[in-house]
Amino acid sequence: MSNDIAITKTETAEERFLRLVTNGWIFLLLLGLVAFFLILRPAQFGSAYNVQQLAINAAILLVLAVGQTYVIMTSGIDLSVGSVLVFSSVVSAKLMLMLSGADGTTYGTTDAGWDVIAIGTLAALAVGAAWGALNGVLVAIAKIPPLIVTLGSMGMALGGAQILSGGVDVRAMPELLVTQIGSGRLLGIPMLVLIAAAVVIVAGIVLHLTRFGMHVFAVGSNAEASRRNGIPTTRRLIEVYAISGLMAGIAAVMSNARFSTTTINGHTMDNLATISAVVLGGTSLFGGRGSVFGTVVGVFIPIILLNGFVILGIPPFWQTVAMGAVLILAVWIDQLKRRLRKRG
Amino acid sequence: MTKPIRLAVAGLALTCFGAVGATAQDEGTVDLVLGSSGSPFYQAMQCGAMARADELGLALTVSAADQFAADAQIPVVNAVTARGPDVAAIVPTDMQALIAPMRELAERGTKVLTVDQTISDVSILETQILTDNEEGGAMAADQLAQLIGGSGKVLVITQPPGSLAQDARTAGFEAALAENYPDIEYLGAQYQSNDPQRAAEIVTSTLSAHPDLAGIFSTNDQGAIGAITGLRQAGAVGQVKMVAYDAASAQVAALKNGELQALIAQNPRQQGEVAMDIAASLFAGEEVEPVTMTEIVAITSDEPDLADRYEYIADCM
Repeated sequence: MSNDIAITKTETAEERFLRLVTNGWIFLLLLGLVAFFLILRPAQFGSAYNVQQLAINAAILLVLAVGQTYVIMTSGIDLSVGSVLVFSSVVSAKLMLMLSGADGTTYGTTDAGWDVIAIGTLAALAVGAAWGALNGVLVAIAKIPPLIVTLGSMGMALGGAQILSGGVDVRAMPELLVTQIGSGRLLGIPMLVLIAAAVVIVAGIVLHLTRFGMHVFAVGSNAEASRRNGIPTTRRLIEVYAISGLMAGIAAVMSNARFSTTTINGHTMDNLATISAVVLGGTSLFGGRGSVFGTVVGVFIPIILLNGFVILGIPPFWQTVAMGAVLILAVWIDQLKRRLRKRG
Repeated sequence: MTKPIRLAVAGLALTCFGAVGATAQDEGTVDLVLGSSGSPFYQAMQCGAMARADELGLALTVSAADQFAADAQIPVVNAVTARGPDVAAIVPTDMQALIAPMRELAERGTKVLTVDQTISDVSILETQILTDNEEGGAMAADQLAQLIGGSGKVLVITQPPGSLAQDARTAGFEAALAENYPDIEYLGAQYQSNDPQRAAEIVTSTLSAHPDLAGIFSTNDQGAIGAITGLRQAGAVGQVKMVAYDAASAQVAALKNGELQALIAQNPRQQGEVAMDIAASLFAGEEVEPVTMTEIVAITSDEPDLADRYEYIADCM
């Protein structure tokens, strides 16, 4: 353990404070946005309905962004998350359709039970994790740059999903999945939000409080030094990409439950959306620095912007511009702060 | 509040937003959610709706996601639900995925209608505004058969299966070929996802395999633009006859200079106008028909004036 600490640069109290402030800056921006829309449209933006919808809209992206956080922490990148989601959702949906004995052109919902849903869910998780592990092997063992590996598997997974489904969405999900998970609630909280929250909490604990998480930080800071200090870097890298794939598998089940259809032509921007959320949240693209909490804030900023703009009735083109501007501005301020700190 | 002013305000500093927003008028508030932003077709629909809403005195707000996909559109529909307009006209991007958010919108007291596309559960809708895509596909088959003299090889370029409108156009085209034109050899459909580059590649590769290709039908504008590029690349413009769905500016220009021979045009402006008319009827408490059909027309290369009239133009942006 002492070895690990020696190579991950120990933070002084001052550095930790500054890191919290820079992360805190994004958090303040989020609070500012919320306050701004609340002041202008309190009844519409602040309604219980709207708050709940915001959380549901964030749920699937949050799960994907958690996996992306792990990958970017190791100074990698995963462009394949959206395609792996689509592939897993097709495998899961087709399997559940087959097991419930309905034919492939069925519309609406099937009466499959929880056993079928459990098998479909496990299949999605396994397939997602397998794509992730493949990415990891190609990055860590074949030493191909992650950008290229995941760009390639992005195409392979999407093409694979189209081959499996003939390009036609599977439009029949188990009724139970749609009503209990997709639009179901527990104690008034949407199930999708609960699932996302559970994933975030577990991922946060693993990254910040376990030995494995410490290794992830170390590999991201300096892979060579980590290896020399006896951290199994190759294995850790494969595991990190597998985690990202697993998250895409979880998100696939959530997506099936929420939309009650597979969405082969959707999720095209999920990779960039998660990368920008992770970066907004203060995780460094060069690895070794970041937090799951920051990512949560980063996911919510564009979602709240879009929602507030629609509620205010601002033309759609402005929304696209504003989102891009916020991303650049946030990272720029982050950089300025760090440069000031270095000088001081 | 008028559109130009709202745009100007949006362009100013954030602090000016206090002045923005649809002021509720006696005639009621209407929301229009387009299929995607930045598409000439939907912009023409928006212009038609805005002009008619002004005439009728409706407070109209238009929104759209940046891509034609359910996961991008649902947050926009949710936000519209939070606004709580009296009437919402929506172009649903998926038959199935949009049912739940649109049902919520209807349950919260908004009257919901679909434009251009529809959903598979129509019980929550006041009405659907549609065009007959199968009929449009059959019209394309008739035009192409005429152009190539009733025999030869033809190819269809369309989107991957799953888009109801595109699938119906292809199905209508295929059915008409099978029924009326036994001498035409149908090479099948090739897919491009709104990607002109891909469509160009499809055309040039098909010409390598079938130098005697006689005709092409593209089910949308991006496919047509790419196919024309492919024909130009292969030096086969005019030799291979081309019919395309829609009347975007690039397609109308191509029709005029002989690169394509016929267009099957919809009338998005009219769709937007009809949506506002129906909204006004709903406010007045009148009965509305469950389905309203809007027109499709076949435009050939010797009708440039007609092409100009139907061109998808956003004259209000």
